Parts: sequence; structure tokens; C-alpha cells
Amino acid sequence: MDAEARIRCFHCGSPVATGSSHEVLFDGQPRPVCCAGCEAAARLVLSQGLGRFYEFRSGESTPPELTGRDWSAFDREAALRLYTQLGADGNRAVSLQLEGLRCAACTWLIENSLRRLGGVLDVQVNPAAGRAELRFDPRRVNLGQVLERLAALGYSARPLSFTPADADADGEAERRVSLQRLAVAGLGMMQVMTFAISLYAGALQGMDARITDLMRLVSLLVATPVVLYAAQPFFTSAWRTLRAGTLGMDVPVATSIGAAYLWSVWSTLIGHGAVYFDSAVMFTFFLLVGRHIEMSLRHRAGSRQHALARLLPDSVLRLVGARTERVAPAEIVAGDRIRILPGERVAADGVVKSGISEVDESLLTGESMPRLRSPGALLTAGTLNLSGVLEMEVTRVGPESTLAAISRLLTRAQASRPQIADQADRVAAWFVGVVLLLAAAVAWYWLRVDAARAFPTVLAVLVVTCPCALSLATPAALAAATARLAGAGLLVARARALEALAAVDCVLFDKTGTLTRGQFRLEHERILTDRCDHARCLGLAAALERLSTHPIASAFASIEPAAGVSSVETAVGRGVSGRIDGVRYRIGRPDYALEGCSDVGMDSEALQTTVVLADTAGALATFAFTDELRPDAGTSLERLRALGLTPLIASGDRSAVVATVASRLGEPIARGALDAASKVDWVHSLQRQGHRVATVGDGVNDAPVLAASDVSIAIGSGTDLARVSADLVLLGERLEPVVCAIATARRTRRVIRQNLAWAAVYNATAVPLAALGWLQPWMAALGMSLSSLLVVLNAMRLLRSGS
Amino acid sequence: MNVLFLLIPLGLVLLALAVWGFFWAVRARQFDDLDSPGVRILLDDDSAPPRDGND
Repeated sequence: MDAEARIRCFHCGSPVATGSSHEVLFDGQPRPVCCAGCEAAARLVLSQGLGRFYEFRSGESTPPELTGRDWSAFDREAALRLYTQLGADGNRAVSLQLEGLRCAACTWLIENSLRRLGGVLDVQVNPAAGRAELRFDPRRVNLGQVLERLAALGYSARPLSFTPADADADGEAERRVSLQRLAVAGLGMMQVMTFAISLYAGALQGMDARITDLMRLVSLLVATPVVLYAAQPFFTSAWRTLRAGTLGMDVPVATSIGAAYLWSVWSTLIGHGAVYFDSAVMFTFFLLVGRHIEMSLRHRAGSRQHALARLLPDSVLRLVGARTERVAPAEIVAGDRIRILPGERVAADGVVKSGISEVDESLLTGESMPRLRSPGALLTAGTLNLSGVLEMEVTRVGPESTLAAISRLLTRAQASRPQIADQADRVAAWFVGVVLLLAAAVAWYWLRVDAARAFPTVLAVLVVTCPCALSLATPAALAAATARLAGAGLLVARARALEALAAVDCVLFDKTGTLTRGQFRLEHERILTDRCDHARCLGLAAALERLSTHPIASAFASIEPAAGVSSVETAVGRGVSGRIDGVRYRIGRPDYALEGCSDVGMDSEALQTTVVLADTAGALATFAFTDELRPDAGTSLERLRALGLTPLIASGDRSAVVATVASRLGEPIARGALDAASKVDWVHSLQRQGHRVATVGDGVNDAPVLAASDVSIAIGSGTDLARVSADLVLLGERLEPVVCAIATARRTRRVIRQNLAWAAVYNATAVPLAALGWLQPWMAALGMSLSSLLVVLNAMRLLRSGS
Repeated sequence: MNVLFLLIPLGLVLLALAVWGFFWAVRARQFDDLDSPGVRILLDDDSAPPRDGND
């Protein structure tokens, strides 16, 4: 354990590179951290006396971003108007959507750390929704400072605009009403049951007629709000399905609750005959419990998906005449000129008007090398400006913007119903029809045999056969699975994907950007002179690269930079130069770094693949980079094999490179040099052999293959999700959720089958008993309720992270 | 048994109070977060570290 603890980052849990000098002091012991960002975050936590966070958190934290972002856009009046609500006392309230919340300890850390910012009056973090509600005094603290503090702790936060739609999307109102109905039904049920038991006992032992009447009257009083308020959703839903000309599961529910209630009211008023308030109330309560659990599952699946909005930048630099101003993305309109600094994401679609820069479009094209963009070129929202300053004219915002498209994607995902749920509903409609006919037959029979027992028997039949297990259990299972996957970092964009995924037996991976990160890692460095030792060369390179936003720069992020860089110059797409301790150093492409040097001293092949660090006298060191495999690629493929699936690799890259990758991943079948069409052919030929194929790719580049396969999974990190039409979207940097998804899909299928089997067995035994008049209505209510609770609880098992 | 004529209506009053109390609790957001308060008591400790200003 000690060895394990030594190499894991104290803050984020990722492996610490050997020789890293970053560490923090906790409990009197030095603890290693992986990078400067984690070090800063841990220091911040510890310096505020909040170190207990590390004892109580239940998972590792997210490493904070190092890039110094400009939060000042949130201090503008327009942003305050958009995001915050002004209270009577001059204070403002804001809702923040948080990323990186793991557990209750995070909640505590955020609340306590923010309260220590002077001017923050009240913080409430809701970890389930990933939300923070904040009240602050704008005269003492800025919204930007709050966001900056959160970012420093490793939680990215985005203020939510104050619109009623936001509150509703969260389902908070729905949840509250549901709780209130539950309370009315539950408390009412306790009262009515007390009287019902007294009345049963009284019927056996003899009871004062006045007291019997009183109890029945009070039961009526208590049952009335339960039926009229708590059971209202069943009546409205039954009415809706009837008006639509179909039969839903709520029709017999509403019929039996309504009939039991009206019959009992009549009996109470005329003073004789049986009352069934107990059955009606108990039935209502247990059904509501089932619905409430199902609703919670649905909300849990939904709330995480809102977090996607963060793909656009937090602020935009707008040009107004000769001046610039920082504005919120929501403020820009088509026709605005905006300036995009290096390291910023493009906020809207538009055309470059001036400037030259490299733009990372890997999200759109899958091309890992950045593209040079000059005036006249199109820029797409969500792409990342890397090296130079660009000015662009905005062409599309609002409903056409990426943000809107993302929310459309999510709405579609939540609205789309899986086939299996549709089937269950159709079966339920038939089932209800049969039940109603059966009830009529039972009524007809008992009216001729024993008229007094006709009503309770019919009521028992109606109640006991409620097809809840059929109609409730499947959506509950799917919602639980969706919630589980959302927690694991996988967005289910189409509900039917889970069914298809359960049947998959081959998983096809793209290589670049899927099995690999599409990011560069320092593979080896070569020190060329003795003017400068190894550590110094790395330090110089890191110091200069820190000022660059080229993807290669990230390879230096974990290296301690040399101090004191001045007079920095960035050459777009070529390199960076700067003065350190009085010497001008250049790092970048060889032709740039060695400009004006006579002594090149390197062969021409090395010149193409490496980055060179040079001072004015000549080259000091060369650095070579590789595109790193995702750290969990190997284990993920291993676990897929353990599940009996065949992993495959298809890549457009050279066969030799693909073979090297395959050899490190346990030799799956791998094909290189494939274009999109031949990838599709491969998938089709696998399907003709009877295989079901899931494809994991980067969404846009691999769109044809993704579309051809049975289930498509897109890597969503940084991707323009609006263009992704995949069934599932991976949100994080890890492949592990793919394995988790397949395992969960299989478990979901198993749970649904168990539930349907249970429903069949239950009805087959309960219906004859009820029709024969052997079941009292209250027994029927209890049996049915327990049956539907059982299936919902069975579905909830999917929330647990199984083996 | 005449006391029942008092006790049963009294029970109804208590029931109404309980429902009102629960409604109040729901509206006061007592049920919004059921997970973290249980852990929070373990975390909150009495040593009050210095408040830092607007750093």
C-alpha cells in the first residue's frame, strides 16, 4: 500500500512521474502530487484549514486546469443581469453548475472554502444535481472571483442563467409535488388503516354503532384529500390515455381507486354496507412510492447531462469600434466582431477577418494536427484557437449555435423512448383491455351468484391485476441504467442503444483519438551539448512551452519550468522564444529554433519529427513526442475480452503504427491504412457473419462507421456534440465506461426479463384467486403494491456499480 | 368510550399539523439533498481557520 501511495497523486490520484518535485505537507508528512495544478489546489485546501476533506472524500479529485483564465467577463453588469438575481438588500443570488463533484466531502470543501471569501453570504451545494446556490454581496466580491476560486480547487463552474426553464429541467418542482403527494397519502393511509383495523375488530366483537359511524365518517374525511390530491396523477393520466383512444396502466388504477372511494362514500352516507377506504388509500400510497422512485431515477439520469453546456467559452472578447470588451457568450449576436486569443475556444460559428493562427479542430475532423486558419476561413464554435490572435465575424449564434444544438441533442435523448418500453406499453394496453373484460365477466357471474360479494370481488380483480410491473418496471430499469452510466461518464443519447448494446459481441475501436489520447507526450529527449545539463534543458523548454498553446506544449506540463522568462515572442505554428537569465532561447520547429545558427548538427530525418531547443549559439537539445495510449486502453480491452467480446482496431494510420499499438493491447485483430469506406465494409462483413458490432470512434471523422454499426459510441471530450449522432457519448478521457456500459446493458436486459417474468407469474396466480372471491380488496392492494415495488427495487439494483 | 369522540377529531388535527409540517419542510428544501448532511457533521470541525479576504 505504501508503494501505491508513493506513486499516486495525493490530490487527483493519477500516477506521479518519477522525479517529480511537486509535493504538499499533510499530517506532517510530505505527500507527492502529480503536477503544479494539483499542488496549487492541495495547498489552497490545506492553507484554509480544510485538510479533513482528504480524510472524508470517497474518490479522487479532478486536477485543476493550469491555464490562467480570465474570469472578468462575469463581473460585467450584463453578465450579472443574465446570471444573477438581485435581492432587496443589494445582494445577488446565482446558480452554478459544477463539474468534478464526487461526494459529500466535495460539498463541504466548496461551501467552506467559498464562505471564507469575504462577501459570500450563503452557499448551498447540491451534489445530486451538481448545483451550487450562492448568495453574495457584489460590492465585496465578484462573481469572477468565486469562479476562479472554484477552478483553483479543481471544480469547473458555470453560472446558469436565471430562467424558469432551468428550474423545470431539473425537475425540482415535480419532485416536490411528488413528495407532498406521498406525505398526504402516507399519513392518510396510517390514519385510515387504524380505523379500518378498529372497524374489522369491531365487526367481530361488536362496536357501538355511533362509534362505527364516526370512524367511517373520519375515514371518509381523511381519504378524500388522498384520493383527490395524492391520487390525482392517476386520474389525469388515465383520462389522457382514454382521450387518446388507448388503454394505459392508469385506467384500471384510476377505475379501482375511484370506484372504491365512491362506493365507500355512498356506504358511509347511507349508513350501511362495506367501506373500502383502506384499500383505496393503501393502493394510492404504494403506487406513489413506486412512481416516486422511478421519477428519482429519471432525474438522476437527466441532471448530469446538463453539464455539457461547458463546451463553449466562458467569455468572449467583443470588438466595439476600436475598443474591446469582455462579454458573456450569450450577449453576442450574428454580425459581431470578436477577438479570439490563443488558448480560447471559439464561441460561435463565423469567418476569420484578420489574423493567422493554428486552430485545433480535432473535435470536428479527428485530425490531431492543428490547421492553419487565415482570413476568409471558417471557424466553428467549440474549436480551440492555439497560437495566434484571430478576429472573426460571427455568422451563427442563437438557435443555430452549438449550445442550442447540444441541448436539442439532450432533449431528444430524454424524449426518445426505447423500443422495449413501447412494446411493454402496447402489451399493457392489451392487458388492460383483457382485465376490464375479465372484471365485467366476474361482475356478471357474482351478481347472479352472490350480489353482495360482486363489488369487492370486481374491485379485487381490478386492483390485483394492475399492470404496473409491466409498464413501470422497464422504464425504471432503463432510467436506473442511464443514471448509472451518466455517473460513469457516458451519456446515453438514444434510449434504444442499451438494448442493442446488450446484444453486442464485437467492439471496433478507432485508433487515433480513441485508443490514444490525440495528445503528445515527451518520449525521449537528447541533450546535444554540455553547455546545459539535462534538468536545465527540460526546465528551459518547459518555461518556454508554458507560454505556448500548441498541443505539444502539454507534454511539458508536468515539468518544473525555469524561472524568469521575459520578452516572449510567439511565432505562429513555429515556436516560442524568450529571454531567461539574459540569454535568448528558442524552442520549436528546427528551422525556427536554429534560425541564424550556423551549427545545425542534426540529420535531416530528426529535423522532421522533433522539437529543438536552441540558444543563440546553436541547438541544445531535441525532444521527441508520441501520441500516448489512453492509460486505461489496455485494461478496458482486457475486460471486454473477459466479458466475452472481441475487440477490434481499425485505423487510417500506417499499418506498422497500428501493429505497434495492437501489440501493446494484447494483440486484438487490427487493420491499418483503412479509409472510411473500407471501415464500413469491415463492419458490414462482420454483420453478415452474424456479429453485432459496437464502434467506438471520435464522432465526426468516423461518422460513417458509427452509423453502419449496431451501436455507436463517440468520444465526446472536447467534441462538437451537436454534430455527433452517436447512440452513446463518452464524456471523459477514459475508455473504461465503454466496458461498464456493455456490462450495465446486459444487467439491464436481465433485470427487465426478471421483472417481466415476475409480472407474469404474479398475475397468473393472483387473478384466479381474486376472480374466485378469495381476496379482499385490501389484500389485492397490498399484493399488487408489493409486486410493483419489488420490480422497481429490482431495477434500482442497476444503480450499484456491479462487479 | 365517549372519549373517542374527542380523541378521534384530535387525531385529525394532529394529522393536519403533520401534513402542514411536511409541506413546509419540502418547500423549505429540507428534502433536496439527502446525502451530504449525514457526512457533513463528520467534517465540520470547531477550529475556525482565519478568514481570508478577497485574495
